Amino acid sequence: MEALELARLQFAVTGGLHFLFVVLTLGLAPLVAIMHTRQALAGGPLRERMTRFWGQIYVVNYALGIVTGLVMEFQFGLSWSGLSHYAGDVFGAPLAMETLVAFFLESTFLGLWIFGWGRLPKWAHVACIWLVTLTAYASAFFIMAANSFLQNPAGAVESGGRLRLVDFGALLTNKALVFSFPHVIGAGLFTGAMVLAGASAYQLRRRTSEVEFFSRSLRTGVVVAAIGIFLTVGFGYAQFSGVQEGKLSQAGLPFAVMVESGNLLMLLVLFVMLPMIRVLPRWRWTHPVLMVLTPVPFVLAIMGWLVREMGRQPWMIWGKLTVADAMTPGLTTSMITGSLVGFAAVLGLLAVVDYVLIARVVRRGPRDLDLGSVREPALTY
Amino acid sequence: MELIWFAVFSLLLAGYFALEGFDLGVGLLLPVLGRSAATRDRMVAAMAPYVLANEVWLVAVAGTLFGVYPALEHEVLFGLYPVVVAMLLSWVVRDAGLWFRRRAGGARWRGFWDLMIALGSLGLSFGWGTALYGVVTGSWLSPPGLMLGVLVTLLFAFHGWTFLAWRSPGLAGVTRSGRALAISGGAAALPAAGVLLGSMPYLLDHSAPAATLGVLSVIALPFAPVVVAAQVWVWRTFRPGKDAVRIPSFF
Repeated sequence: MEALELARLQFAVTGGLHFLFVVLTLGLAPLVAIMHTRQALAGGPLRERMTRFWGQIYVVNYALGIVTGLVMEFQFGLSWSGLSHYAGDVFGAPLAMETLVAFFLESTFLGLWIFGWGRLPKWAHVACIWLVTLTAYASAFFIMAANSFLQNPAGAVESGGRLRLVDFGALLTNKALVFSFPHVIGAGLFTGAMVLAGASAYQLRRRTSEVEFFSRSLRTGVVVAAIGIFLTVGFGYAQFSGVQEGKLSQAGLPFAVMVESGNLLMLLVLFVMLPMIRVLPRWRWTHPVLMVLTPVPFVLAIMGWLVREMGRQPWMIWGKLTVADAMTPGLTTSMITGSLVGFAAVLGLLAVVDYVLIARVVRRGPRDLDLGSVREPALTY
Repeated sequence: MELIWFAVFSLLLAGYFALEGFDLGVGLLLPVLGRSAATRDRMVAAMAPYVLANEVWLVAVAGTLFGVYPALEHEVLFGLYPVVVAMLLSWVVRDAGLWFRRRAGGARWRGFWDLMIALGSLGLSFGWGTALYGVVTGSWLSPPGLMLGVLVTLLFAFHGWTFLAWRSPGLAGVTRSGRALAISGGAAALPAAGVLLGSMPYLLDHSAPAATLGVLSVIALPFAPVVVAAQVWVWRTFRPGKDAVRIPSFF
């Protein structure tokens, strides 16, 4: 393969891996924040264990979101410096906002939340997880704003062979952004909710002793899944009017998979799962179905990105800069092969390990949780 | 305007060295001071609450590089391609070690990830020395570049040791004051500060145009007090004391 194809593959692999973890982060963050708030309001051991159990899944998942995100960020400079050279004055602004403000605060508050258990006053601790949620959504907004600029370069004009920012407001009200951002947020909520439902179904199927814990979690999952899929599909269709001619047909297969499955899932969630919400925890035959559905939102989220990024080809910035021109001049096949193998192998392995660890948390259920623990569990030597 | 953003960029990079420097230093010292698994647990627990708030300074450096010095991003990152890739992989492995080491039982599991923390910290510390030399001279693979790598590694190890002596005196065998920690942080930041000062005219000359800097200033600078307050909150919450290092810690 040519250096260009390899560089695209590298970005697709790291970007795809990154989003698999980010989409769950976006869904679980508000759910954990709500659980923590209810714990603070009403108290009780059940609510505390719900916060810690789903919180632990949230933070174990978060680990891979961070490390894949680091590689993503630096790839712009390594492989795509033509982009910063031509449009850095515009594209760099939302990226700088994301890293300098949104993610900076998110990481700081997450550290306070994870390690603040038993140290921070109750409401200050609750405030931390809400601030993590808020800044995570702000991060998603700025990243989507940057991506939307590539899809539809609003707010900039070309002068002297480079793009110049003339209207920052136009960057944030881009027609490629206003519906795609809530679409992504909906997909995140749907993914997080389906993980709640699937993991709870697994425990109930295994005749867990934690019946109330997982029945409640399952019902929460179904309600939020209904909200999430409604937002995702609704804002998905709303994007059609603003998409440039030819983009959707260019991403035929992933587009068909996403739309058809999305429609089916919406029917299933709104007209089957939601009406059955009372009986779902008891009807054990439904549990394998819910378990099988858990990975589906992740697959569809990747399809969504394929549609968006394949549709843009061959442009890096629609109508302005091609992907080939955006590649770093001088990037050789051997350089990109070396880094591709390194990143794909290390991040791929870590992703597998992370999913095994999440599955382990789900299997063990809400006992001996690390998050918020004050007592050392027995080490098995 | 260029001057303000040069100051922000410099503060972020030097701050990264002064803060993340001690996390990397503790990682470097894991195999040296942490002969037993229990000691390593305590060493990691001592730095754990700071790591997320410290490493993010470099994420902000990279974002600022893109936003404020888009013309230089290519020179800096691409010019040092193998070093940057190796440093990224080291960073990833170090972070994975921290997040994973306590996520499963078994001494071998934890021992393996502790080794990854140490190796990742080593790769990143040494990489910083060679990268700084490479940025200035254009060639990193040279005896002075490698020497600077060793120097930065030693500075970070000393800073990590001072941090342990400040937060959990039992681990380092001595006690150090917050002032000593600030001084070792300053020492750890010296290589970065030197490079920044030396390249100041060049950086000022290659800043993004006024329109971009204006937008960045209007939307980013108002949040500066919030960002500073959040960092201060971390340092206040996890300050040393009778119960500073708690086991079990999440990392």
